[in-house]
Amino acid sequence: MKQRYQNRIELLQGTLDLLVLQTLRWGAQHGYGIALAIRANSGDILQVDTGSLYPALHRLERRKLIAAEWKTSENNQRVRVYRLSAAGKKKLASERSRWAQISQAIAGILGPAGEGSEA
Amino acid sequence: MKFPWGDGEKRKKELNEEIASHLQMAARDREARGESPAQANEAARREMGNASVVQDVTHDQWAWTWLEDLLQDLRYGARSLRKNPGFTMIAVLTLALGIGANTAIFSLVNGVLLRPLPYAQPERLVGTTQYYPKGPLVVMRQQSHTMELVGVSDNKEFNLTGTGDPVRLIGNSVSADFFSMLGAQPAMGRTFHDGEDQPDKDRVVILSRALWEERFNADPNIVGKWITLEGEGREIVGVMPADFRFPSPKTELWVPLHLDPRNTGDYWGDSYMALIGRLRPGATLQQARAELKTMRPLVLAAYAWRMPTNSFVDSSVVSLEEAIVGDARGKLLILLGAVSLLLLIACANVANLLLARATTREREVAVRVALGASRWRILRQLITESVLLSLLGGALGLGVAFSGLSILKAALPPDTPRLADVALDGQVLGFTALLAILTGVIFGLVPALGASKVDMTATLKSGGQRSATGGNHRASKLLVVGEVAVSMILVIAAGLLVKSLWILSGTSPGFRPERVVTARITPNESFCEVPGRCLAFYNELLERMRALPGVRDVAAVNGLPLGGGAEIFPIVVEGQPTPEGAKVPMFWEKIITPDYLSIMNIPLLRGRGFSEADAAPEAQAVVIVSKSTAEHFWPGKGAVGEHIRAKWEPNVWRTVVGVVGDVREYNIRSDSASWIDGVMYAPYGPHAIRGSGADAPPAEMTLVIETADEQVQIAEELKNTVASLNHDVPVSQISPLKSWVAEAMAEPRSTSALFAVFAGLALLLGAVGIYGVISYSVAQRTREIGIRMALGARRKEVLLLVVGQGAKLALAGVAIGIAGGLMLTRLMSGLLYGVHATDPATFAAVAVLLMFVALAACFIPARRAMRVDPMVALRYE
Repeated sequence: MKQRYQNRIELLQGTLDLLVLQTLRWGAQHGYGIALAIRANSGDILQVDTGSLYPALHRLERRKLIAAEWKTSENNQRVRVYRLSAAGKKKLASERSRWAQISQAIAGILGPAGEGSEA
Repeated sequence: MKFPWGDGEKRKKELNEEIASHLQMAARDREARGESPAQANEAARREMGNASVVQDVTHDQWAWTWLEDLLQDLRYGARSLRKNPGFTMIAVLTLALGIGANTAIFSLVNGVLLRPLPYAQPERLVGTTQYYPKGPLVVMRQQSHTMELVGVSDNKEFNLTGTGDPVRLIGNSVSADFFSMLGAQPAMGRTFHDGEDQPDKDRVVILSRALWEERFNADPNIVGKWITLEGEGREIVGVMPADFRFPSPKTELWVPLHLDPRNTGDYWGDSYMALIGRLRPGATLQQARAELKTMRPLVLAAYAWRMPTNSFVDSSVVSLEEAIVGDARGKLLILLGAVSLLLLIACANVANLLLARATTREREVAVRVALGASRWRILRQLITESVLLSLLGGALGLGVAFSGLSILKAALPPDTPRLADVALDGQVLGFTALLAILTGVIFGLVPALGASKVDMTATLKSGGQRSATGGNHRASKLLVVGEVAVSMILVIAAGLLVKSLWILSGTSPGFRPERVVTARITPNESFCEVPGRCLAFYNELLERMRALPGVRDVAAVNGLPLGGGAEIFPIVVEGQPTPEGAKVPMFWEKIITPDYLSIMNIPLLRGRGFSEADAAPEAQAVVIVSKSTAEHFWPGKGAVGEHIRAKWEPNVWRTVVGVVGDVREYNIRSDSASWIDGVMYAPYGPHAIRGSGADAPPAEMTLVIETADEQVQIAEELKNTVASLNHDVPVSQISPLKSWVAEAMAEPRSTSALFAVFAGLALLLGAVGIYGVISYSVAQRTREIGIRMALGARRKEVLLLVVGQGAKLALAGVAIGIAGGLMLTRLMSGLLYGVHATDPATFAAVAVLLMFVALAACFIPARRAMRVDPMVALRYE
């Protein structure tokens, strides 16, 4: 439980956008579904805060990276479903390469230090 | 901040529904995992947090984002400026100086050069570049199809008597249709009727509002009353409003021209005045110019005597604004150029500060890029910050401009055209705002572009160590070199002006101003029409003055040197006929009483001075000429014994009896105007030649009173003495001759003072710039210096290393500055005296000064570098 708590990472703004876009690549989804998917795909490590998720969704919609429409779910409930737009796909590609750069850079900094502490 | 993007209410409702469905789904999943419905609902809500806050925050995503971004940028910028109070203060002060000085000078340029004249259709108003007598004016008024021409005399003085103490007023003679041509309406009464400039109809006068208030107690029934001007009764027909200040702010009254062709000397020979006019409908300035040329032969043909064929040949028609502003234009533009350079230096300095900061902010920028900020967004953020900085500077600069302008207006010579119209107004405020924003964008762009290009990976990888990006540092070095170069130009300009002033104040005006008090004695012109009356009056006055305690000697002259006035007329030199078509020599005549030359210490070089006997009606007419006049007309012959006469007096030859030293008659820079060929002196009395052709000697004279020492006060005794002789004679302008000389120096002094201030600021800003770059570079190289010292470099070598780096930059700047100076100072050669625009001594001295200042600025960071402890420096990194 303790480990779980520590791993609940506050997601950074740009990162959340990236995760949302990535999740929508597999198909249209509503907000709750996106949150579930991110949690599941991160092995329960990343818990998306609703207070960040909806602003992010609407921000992305505003920028026309995703599009929204009202649909009825299998439980006969009206839900707002988001899907990736063409611009969103492009953005996703560029954000992915940027992320690769950052993680590489951070790994570069952390790498030797991490080995040192293990030794 | 909520600026709903279109249908805000609908979106709110939908958002509400979306959140509710989220809660439902979460609760249902919990129920499916075995929680009770109540527990599941409760847990889902807790997980969500405050749903209404979530809704609000989400809704805000639809706000007007660019405005929000801007506000965010501003908040962020303000915070980062607050975090660095030292940087902010220096930057804002630097900009305030630059923008403030520019605003002040622009107000001046705007008021004097740009703002349209306050008359109807000012763009149709024109003026001639040369003065004409009355005769040519009348001829051209009849002939011209392109212009409605009127004449305006220069400021003249009028005695007002019969209303309290006699006073001297300043007025102008104008054509009868002067006011209607300008489209000016009177505040009371009427302007002149057509034909009121004809003899016998011209006994009318129009007052300025100031005169009406001060002298006539704002009498509402003033129109129709009669006053006595110069001993002549005139009816007051109108009062002009306060904002009518043509031709000068000093004008207190207007009288009609007295167009009397019977008075040939006055009508054709004297009475030179400015001609102004209005283009007739459909006519252009080019047509008016062409017409002025075609009218010239007609004008010359109308003369009673043969005029040289090249008379008025250089005259042209220009816009009235240009005619009024004249020489002031060049000087103002030079000032504007100088302050723009100052602003450039200020910008370079702030850009440099920002550059230095940009480097230390690289990591901040890299982190923001990593978090997904676009390059454009960061660029905008950085530029917002610099514009914020320059707006702060601009606001403070307005204060600088406000006080600067009042100092400027006080410092400039009061006869600067249109100076009274100069003020900070909406236009100037707009200029300042524009300048501030432009400045911000310009000095913010370079560093911002550099910073936004940050290579994120490299910067983050390099960890704690600052990576001095080569580009930024090269840019800041270039900026410093440019700054030094521009400062160099400004300091050279100031140096040249100060040297001119120094030479000017060192040159003798040709007379000795110490221990002499002067005063204007101004009887009416008609006072002298009775033969001998004026001569007797002045003889008696001088006699009584000499008896006063403290007075050593006293004499009278028709006008002081340095532009105090003289009679002007064409002359004929015996044995030197003027060739056909050549210009007739024009002389200035100083009419003096015998002791004038000795009181003024004007040396007698040859022949004799005047005596009382020369003023007798039966005496032979004699003159004295100045040294350069003698050399010009009688080279090698000594002049004494030669003869000259006035052009219009065929039989009255005058004998040259003496030659005296040259005197600065025209102004502090030159003995005479370019169109004057000689200066002569004549004894006060019946033989004095009058430019107007009058028989009598001039009524208005200036006394020069030599006192035992500077402290002697004689104003009261002088007034009493004059009053005891004649109650109607005003005494005015009692002041030491020294202050008259100082006044003549005022114009060059104010120009050099302004430039000295600009140069001082430029030098200061340049020094700050070099200091900033060198200290920054020392901070960057601490580690390198530490290594050098660890490897055995001595402190002196480190000092030389740092100072050498600064010296290289300064040398490059100085070299470019010299080249720029050689090109630019030529523009100001009109303002210089006795020193060439490319004076090598000034250039060299300024170069040395600048190098000295630059090295001094390097010295502080160099000492810091010298004290670097190698151990600390290495460990620190």
